[in-house]
Amino acid sequence: MPTVGGDYEWMPALTFATMGTVVSLRLEDADAVDLVETVFHRWDEQFSLYREDSELSRIARGDIRLTEASQSLRACYALALHWCERTQGVFTPHRADGVIDLSGVVKALAIAEAGAALTARGSANWSINAGGDVLVSGDAGHPEWSVGIVDPSDRGELIASVPLRHPLRAVATSGSAERGEHIWTALNGDPSPFRQVSVFAADIVTADVLATAIVAGGETTLNEMTERFAIDVLAVRLDGQLLATPGLRRTV
Amino acid sequence: MRARAVALATLASVSIVGIGWQLGTQAIDASQSLTASSGGTAIAATVTATTDAAAQAAVTARAAADAAAAAQAAATAATAAAASAAQAAAESGTFTGAVVQTQFGNMQVSVTVANGAIIEVTPLQLTNRGGRSVDISNQAAPILRSEVLAAQSAKVQNISGATYTSEGYLRSLQSALDTAGF
Repeated sequence: MPTVGGDYEWMPALTFATMGTVVSLRLEDADAVDLVETVFHRWDEQFSLYREDSELSRIARGDIRLTEASQSLRACYALALHWCERTQGVFTPHRADGVIDLSGVVKALAIAEAGAALTARGSANWSINAGGDVLVSGDAGHPEWSVGIVDPSDRGELIASVPLRHPLRAVATSGSAERGEHIWTALNGDPSPFRQVSVFAADIVTADVLATAIVAGGETTLNEMTERFAIDVLAVRLDGQLLATPGLRRTV
Repeated sequence: MRARAVALATLASVSIVGIGWQLGTQAIDASQSLTASSGGTAIAATVTATTDAAAQAAVTARAAADAAAAAQAAATAATAAAASAAQAAAESGTFTGAVVQTQFGNMQVSVTVANGAIIEVTPLQLTNRGGRSVDISNQAAPILRSEVLAAQSAKVQNISGATYTSEGYLRSLQSALDTAGF
């Protein structure tokens, strides 16, 4: 059982529910939780397909056209399409039925905006964990933030604990460990060779998108993404074997 | 004259292909598409396009610092090759570009042109400073659990795993961490 880093006990966790999951925050200034919560709720209200009144749901129903959508929605869609291109279509903002589904980037964008808002407020030390996607900030005078990577075959255990060091201060994990089912690849319909993929990156959107893409695209995508992006990856194969980039190897 | 100018202007683009070669496949794709579209266009336009290709290479490079330097090197190479293209006069054939020195090593390509169309592009030098082929080895490799960076017992503040639902959170390690100490 992992334990809370003693150096951060003065910074108790604050939680709230949004986007179908729970956000856990550690903040120097507990009053800033409202700021973060406001950011998440705004993204959720605009982009959640399970909210019938969201702007994206209205587009999905055809009530409004994409050209009539808000600037922020079109910017978000453009970003998702950009990532679709960068991953050769493995990451896609389109559901099988053609509906635009931006859930693959929205949570990460909310984390990024909330983090930027905390920084703008003058807060140097914080961590945001939204459903397992983690972004941290720390100045030199503070201890490192460390993140535990859950074991997909036993979610009460960790397979690694990794300090989130500059510049890789974001991590996202993709997989279906909670239910243990196969993940089907986007490319040819074969099962993914990975049960779980964690990507460490400088920003949470890159981490989140590439974790999803590598699960969906398999080893080909894994190798392409580790070559092209400044990321570290820890992948768990179906048989439990681990694959890791050099940066995640124990250095001592 | 024009065919030769186009061919040598194309060399400028091809220099970028060489740099893209080192920076990643997407960079190559971007450069090649620009190369294909640069035939028949003015030299000035080619320089602009290849500079864009350098920027594209920068975007897709692994390390931002390396990428910025590579973009600058690519832009320099493009400008130099375009300048030599402007002085050129000859027919179709195989043209060898100058050796361009970048921080990633020397780069040189040859391009075979017939009637203003590129038939073949051959990298002659794509090496790093040490003379070996460039190794972009951030590849994930099999690893034992005991080899992973930090020990199981290390103290953590956050857990990353496949996204849990609001209900699943209550059973999660993150929930245990969040309530620890209270």
